[in-house]
Amino acid sequence: MSTTTVPMADRHALIDVKRLMRHRETSVVGLLVLVLVFVGAVNHTFVSLGNLRDMLVNSVPTIMVACGLTLVVVMGEIDISMGSTVGLCGAVMGAFTAAAHPGIPTSFILLLVLALGSLVGLVNGILVAYGRVPSIIVTLGMLTLLGGIKLVVLNGQQFNNLPHSVRWLGTASFLHVPISIIAAVVVFAGLSLVARSTPLGLRIYACGSNPDAAKLGGLRVQRLKLLVFVITGFLAALAAIFECGHLGVVGSTLGQDFELAVVTSVVVGGSAISGGRGSIFGSVAAAILIGTIGPTLIFMKLGESATYWEQAIQGAFILVAVLTDHYRRRSSQHGAHM
Amino acid sequence: MSVKALPALKINRTLLTLVNRQELILMAMICAGLAGAYQLSPTFLDPTKQVYLSSKIWDLAILSVPMTLIILTGGIDLSVGSAGALSAVVFGLLYNAHVPIWIGCLVGIGAGTLCGAFNGWFVAYVRVHPLIVTLATLAAFRGIAVGISHAQAYSGFPDWFTNIGQGSVGGFPIPGLFFIAVLVVGLWAMGKTPIGVVISAIGFNQNASKFSGIPVERIKFALYTLSGTAAGIAAILYVSWRNTAKADMFGDMALNVITAVILGGTSIFGGRGRLFGTVLGIILIHETREFLSWQWDRNELNSIVIGGMLIVSVLADSLFNLKRR
Repeated sequence: MSTTTVPMADRHALIDVKRLMRHRETSVVGLLVLVLVFVGAVNHTFVSLGNLRDMLVNSVPTIMVACGLTLVVVMGEIDISMGSTVGLCGAVMGAFTAAAHPGIPTSFILLLVLALGSLVGLVNGILVAYGRVPSIIVTLGMLTLLGGIKLVVLNGQQFNNLPHSVRWLGTASFLHVPISIIAAVVVFAGLSLVARSTPLGLRIYACGSNPDAAKLGGLRVQRLKLLVFVITGFLAALAAIFECGHLGVVGSTLGQDFELAVVTSVVVGGSAISGGRGSIFGSVAAAILIGTIGPTLIFMKLGESATYWEQAIQGAFILVAVLTDHYRRRSSQHGAHM
Repeated sequence: MSVKALPALKINRTLLTLVNRQELILMAMICAGLAGAYQLSPTFLDPTKQVYLSSKIWDLAILSVPMTLIILTGGIDLSVGSAGALSAVVFGLLYNAHVPIWIGCLVGIGAGTLCGAFNGWFVAYVRVHPLIVTLATLAAFRGIAVGISHAQAYSGFPDWFTNIGQGSVGGFPIPGLFFIAVLVVGLWAMGKTPIGVVISAIGFNQNASKFSGIPVERIKFALYTLSGTAAGIAAILYVSWRNTAKADMFGDMALNVITAVILGGTSIFGGRGRLFGTVLGIILIHETREFLSWQWDRNELNSIVIGGMLIVSVLADSLFNLKRR
């Protein structure tokens, strides 16, 4: 084998790099820094505070839902219904704030929207955990179903007279930090804390890595599955509120392809689709990284046609992440044989 | 057992081998639905009307044949719509560059095949979960299609080409003939060759299949490649029918195809399912969609009903199996 010819000192260096690279978070953050430095060198406005803030604000909905989806994926399940959940929540919010219902307080509407998102998560969770229907099918069905309900609620209209408090959530700043970024940080920190340092988080990871053992150990796997789906549904509603507040308009395209962005973030962030492995930090870093693709293509001044390649690059990111996983696995297998 | 009871029993057994439970339920649903449709609007079942409406389903139908086989092996292909869009855009680009149409068709279908082979390589040889691979290529293929076409539409194809998608032979639409050809090949391969058993075996237990000498990798690679080829063919037929090729076509194709296959009784875990069920699933989805648009003129009702049907049918299946266990 060729590796046996590598001198001893070099081999140690290789192992150190490997150990660092073993954490997907390291490579994602490294790539993010690389993008910032490289594009920033070409075009200084890319790394201006204003642009960094804008890119983050645009990624806020993806970041929020990616936090929840990470837990779902850690449990060995998947949720692809978030796009329609976001769309439906936005449509319901728009419909309730339309001129036809003048007297309804905004706080009630927001609570209603959050309850609606949680309800979607609850239905997903019940069907997956207690109905034993594969989560990909349940959430595929929900994606189609809720997408239709969204269109019925919108009824061909577009709502742009959202209440001031919703607009404020999406656009205002506190101490020069946008409220939406603060909210995303709170969601990230809260869920990370739960996942890393509470018994609940430990149980979620335990169920994901070996459901049978977890069950024999007395964990209520079904209830935990229900919980992670409800969390994701709730976060999708929260994301819808911030997205609508940011855009200021609710239309039929709200939430379109959103589920793809979230799933991409979670996969690139290092979560294993088979469950048991995944970090919320990795997902959030990947969501931010993916959010920089579009602006990068603009700020590199590659010409108008460059922006058309955004989706292709997003797909390439998943493939590269998956390939590095594969070769890392293979090299560690080789190591075991030596 | 009395001698008299035997013939009835025999009929029952043959019936059971011809159609399974899910297929019986589907047939009952289709019959009940069509009867209801006839009550509400008798002209809906008019043969000429039905032939006219059928033009909207052939692309989905063609794609559902390889998708059934892929899901039977326990896999999934989310990227068929994107592969089709890429095929169509390649075809449109070549047409704009004054390449003869038949070469454009071949290259377009070739592009679809390459897309499929790419998926197949990742799934079979790199051994990545098909959900992840095809999710990535779902974005990547469409991204490439958008990138090379600059999101522009190609149209103005000659009449003889659009006649393929819009014309009919003896009253039967030409794209439908393509579907029947694909279906017959699929049925033959599944029923008359060892491939049928082998594909189900892979879905049931991949490791056992491998140890019993089945070339699992090669079969998976071939299936995903064929799915890409089918996407190319369906896309060219769609372009010929619509007289435009644009990168945003076939937007939710994969989801609809998968819904038809799952509704048809194929298990998402692989191993269990038949092409006959898939055909019934397609008919149910198609007739429901068209009747809702026909009667109430509300396209958004389609997705509500189809999403609901998907969830309910899989839930019913799961609960039934739970009880039996």
